[in-house]
Amino acid sequence: MPMMPWRTSLARAGVGLPLAVIALVVAAIVLPQASDYALRVLSAAGIYALLALGYSFIFGQAGALSLAQGTFMGVGAYVSGILAVRWGLPFDAALPASVGLPVALALLVAIPVLRLQTHYFALATLLIGQIVLLVVTQWESVTGGANGIGGVPPLALLGHAIEGRLPALLLVWALVVAGGALAWQITRGRLGDAFAVLRTHPVMAGAVGIDPGLLRFTAFLLSAGYAGLAGSLYVHAIGVLSPDILGFPVMVTCLTIAVIGSRLRIAGAIAGAVLIIELPEWARFLRDDYLLAFGCILLLVVVALPGGLTEAAERLLGRFWTAPPVAPVVPVRIQPRALPARGDALLRVAGLGVRFGGVRALDDVTMELRAGEILGLIGPNGSGKTTLLNIITGIYRPDGGQVWLGGRAIVGRKPHAIARLGIARTFQTAALVPEMSALDNVAVARDAACVGLRQALAVGLRDGPRARARAEAMALLDRMGAGQQAAVPAGALPPGVARLVEIARALACVPLVLLLDEPAAGLNETEQAELARRLRRVADDGVGLLVIEHNMPFLAPLADRMACLDHGQLIAAGTPAQVQADPAVIEAYLGTPVAMPT
Amino acid sequence: MAASQLLLEVLALGAAYALVALGFVLILNATGAVNFSQGDMVMAGGFGAVLLGNALHVPGLVLLPLLLAGMAALGVVVAAVAYMPLRRRPPEAVFISTIAVGIILQNAANHLFGAEPIAAPPLLGAGRVRFAGIDASVQSLAIIGVAVLLVVFLQVLFAHTQFGRRLRATAQDREVAMAIGIPVDRMVTVTFAIGAALAGAAGLLLANAFFVTPTSGADYMVKAYIAIVIGGWGSIPGAVAGALLIAAFEVLYPSLPLLIPPLLRMAQSDTVFSQTTSTIVLDVAVLVILVARPRGLFGDAVRQRP
Amino acid sequence: MSAPLLVVDALTVHYGNVPALRDVGLSVLAREAVALLGANGAGKSTLMKSIIGLVGVDSGRILLGGQALGGMRADRRARLGIGYCPEGRRVFPGLTVWENLAVACWGEARVRAARMEAMFALFPVLAQRAATRAWQLSGGQQQMLAVARSLMDAPRLLLLDEPSLGLSPRLTDEVLRQIPAIVAAGTSVLLAEQNAAKALAVCSRAVVLKLGRVAASGPAAELAASDEVRAAFLGG
Repeated sequence: MPMMPWRTSLARAGVGLPLAVIALVVAAIVLPQASDYALRVLSAAGIYALLALGYSFIFGQAGALSLAQGTFMGVGAYVSGILAVRWGLPFDAALPASVGLPVALALLVAIPVLRLQTHYFALATLLIGQIVLLVVTQWESVTGGANGIGGVPPLALLGHAIEGRLPALLLVWALVVAGGALAWQITRGRLGDAFAVLRTHPVMAGAVGIDPGLLRFTAFLLSAGYAGLAGSLYVHAIGVLSPDILGFPVMVTCLTIAVIGSRLRIAGAIAGAVLIIELPEWARFLRDDYLLAFGCILLLVVVALPGGLTEAAERLLGRFWTAPPVAPVVPVRIQPRALPARGDALLRVAGLGVRFGGVRALDDVTMELRAGEILGLIGPNGSGKTTLLNIITGIYRPDGGQVWLGGRAIVGRKPHAIARLGIARTFQTAALVPEMSALDNVAVARDAACVGLRQALAVGLRDGPRARARAEAMALLDRMGAGQQAAVPAGALPPGVARLVEIARALACVPLVLLLDEPAAGLNETEQAELARRLRRVADDGVGLLVIEHNMPFLAPLADRMACLDHGQLIAAGTPAQVQADPAVIEAYLGTPVAMPT
Repeated sequence: MAASQLLLEVLALGAAYALVALGFVLILNATGAVNFSQGDMVMAGGFGAVLLGNALHVPGLVLLPLLLAGMAALGVVVAAVAYMPLRRRPPEAVFISTIAVGIILQNAANHLFGAEPIAAPPLLGAGRVRFAGIDASVQSLAIIGVAVLLVVFLQVLFAHTQFGRRLRATAQDREVAMAIGIPVDRMVTVTFAIGAALAGAAGLLLANAFFVTPTSGADYMVKAYIAIVIGGWGSIPGAVAGALLIAAFEVLYPSLPLLIPPLLRMAQSDTVFSQTTSTIVLDVAVLVILVARPRGLFGDAVRQRP
Repeated sequence: MSAPLLVVDALTVHYGNVPALRDVGLSVLAREAVALLGANGAGKSTLMKSIIGLVGVDSGRILLGGQALGGMRADRRARLGIGYCPEGRRVFPGLTVWENLAVACWGEARVRAARMEAMFALFPVLAQRAATRAWQLSGGQQQMLAVARSLMDAPRLLLLDEPSLGLSPRLTDEVLRQIPAIVAAGTSVLLAEQNAAKALAVCSRAVVLKLGRVAASGPAAELAASDEVRAAFLGG
């Protein structure tokens, strides 16, 4: 009897659910008697929880170290505060602007900034923060300059001002719950899995059709939106607008919460915020030096507890409480793509050349791959085989030449676009996400074009698209003979099985062409024979296979045709027997003896 | 104001910034990681100079070696705590750990000294000199002198000593350096020590002319970062060039109305050519550079840790 | 019979889950050159890196001159007398030829000067370009520099990892031609090569690796004539 889908989702919530229950119970007991001051601090914790929840999209899910989260919060605060003081717009009416403007700012800087590498991206976000802070302090007429603006009215909802600390706190925490639920909805399904792939292996993400740029963009905008909301809550809660909100200490606090709470977990963001904001209250002697304490805590946690407290708690709990078993998945066959007739050219490469530094890695390579055939590509180390694969899949751009898939020229397209057109590949070191199960690793490649924010918001508790992706993935795993290990985390799979899972994932993209980079490496002879059998069957379905290998006993009986590269040039092509006997090939591999001095 | 006067100001400011950027790029080269606490180390150097000056009542030049030694010790501690345990993790772990170190330094300084700006003792003495139509403070000349000396010292160290050559080798290929017998971890610790000492020197020099507060480090950090990006990520001469460019910009931009009279009309409000606006313009310019050339103005001189 | 200089005994190395070396054993005597052959992925580089200590070992022993190396760090092993010339040359690009050589010598200035003379005698082209930065050298010159660098501290054992990679046949010959001279000067050589014929011509013994295991070993002349070597590469 399959488990109720919502129970499985809840079970995956990890330590969050028990924590939430405990928190509610404690709150119900403590809050009615709490002092004004204590309520104020708890509200601040809620606001920072929202900030950290937003940050977990860009820092946790997308894995990008943005230093602009505090800036987005400050922008939200300033917009809401100025609209309230100068134009009398209450908190809720100003929300479209106080959330919208940070998002607009994120949009403005996202496209050029997101593609920067870590060290440049961090600097760019830092500079954005500095620019905003300086502009705000300069623009006195609007923002009140360094002195800020006082007299910001308290929170208001639907025309009623929210006087009193307890109602204000309840509003803040209601929004935290809503924000947490939204974050959960967005990340619990296929989009969360896609983010996991992006974080672990950005190059591989493109190879399965995931658009890394779009994902990072989405995460960045979401983080800005949450920050804007947090900022507008903040300014109405404390009643004063000051440039302090744009200072680096806010960013540091946010970063500390994220690192401590664990960058991925929703529960972590909330628990971390409560912990960090309450800290100065519990340790009174820290009162003025709370930032000093944050610094020490941050350092300690980064060094000693890289996953954050929530992850440490989950590992601890894991010893006492195992997750319920995953329900068996019924496999569903995928609709195959319309494949050309056997023997037709699927992939054509003409005059391909590329130069790295002073070395010609590929030189005028021309070849073709036909439907239903297995083409073996051999050559000594450094001869350009993997480079050829990387050019075909769009990771590198050639200096000259063209690649055609079907009739379509594909040079210059992004890797994920090429993958979606029908070229799939595997990598020399099996690139699976270690924490995800084998099944989910394959499922994430199903229909990657349909994974996005809109789809994530639309799924119900049952998550139909994900169930279907998993069912289809199951069929693929069965086809590759790895069905028994579907629920095993990919990091625990033996290398032979990991290889099969990776091929299943490549097949999940329903490719016309499958490029395999040393699939037999590290496999024993039984596993190799098994692999060869399965690859033959894939080819028999009409897919064209290009297999790079060094292992001749494996490749020669398997391949229909072979080609040999040496120093970036194609030096032989033909049947395996022909190529193996070709004198140029023999020399490239074995060499001819050197004349020895006597 | 004569052009040569401006030039001197640019050189003096640029020299101090160059010391900050040099320390930063040294550590970057040795470890492939960004030391986010570099600016705060400069601040620590400034306060260290204040402490030593209050205790010893001697000119800054005498304090300098003591300060360098103390800061070197701080560098060793930072290396041990914020870098060594995180060697094998992705570079952003060190980003975060050094952000933490910076926060600790800042707030320790706040706790010990308060937020009021304090001046460190001058290097040689207050006072001015007149020559060739230039009226310069002794301090400005001293800054240029010390910076030049330190840069020359580093140059000699790196080009003419086995130790310096091995430091460069470690920065260029850590694995192979190990395989030929170089104790890589020790090299990294020494680099942190040198980087911190340079920050200390910069702190001493800057804290006299510009006073020092616990938060002044953040500004230097951003400037060093920008200098590295402009000058070519990882290039040592590039870092110096970048620092000089930033100094030139900061000195010349507010002076533009005086240099180009037509602009005087635009300078009606105080804001267009103020120090703040010049920082904004600089930041925007750097962002534009990053966008146009995602690999920096001159490309990565040092291959990044993957 | 002299005691072996290098003994590798039942070595097993894993990269994560993937076994790279399984129960590998070999020995190198003083004053001899041994060829380590095998297709790419056979485990040659992994074996070299295990000996110099850049890669950790799961089980088995490595002994240099009778001394077990255990978990010793790479820089200490180098100082014990192992020279390592890595795959892909990997000279220090920003250092000049002279500096590349200098950093590898741990003796005092006089010793260093003498060693450098010896290296320039071995590879005269390096003497001509002593002041050039390494990144400006051609592939062949870089390979010679890498070999010379690994000899600067007069090691007892030289690990040469695929010097022919990326080099033309003629340049490969120029580099490999020096191996007998190196051995005669007192350094044993373990030469990992894909190019079996060239390696067998300059070494006295050979070990063939296949999928992480020792598939064959024996005198070079024997293996050069056998079909086993060819089979290991081309499977024919």
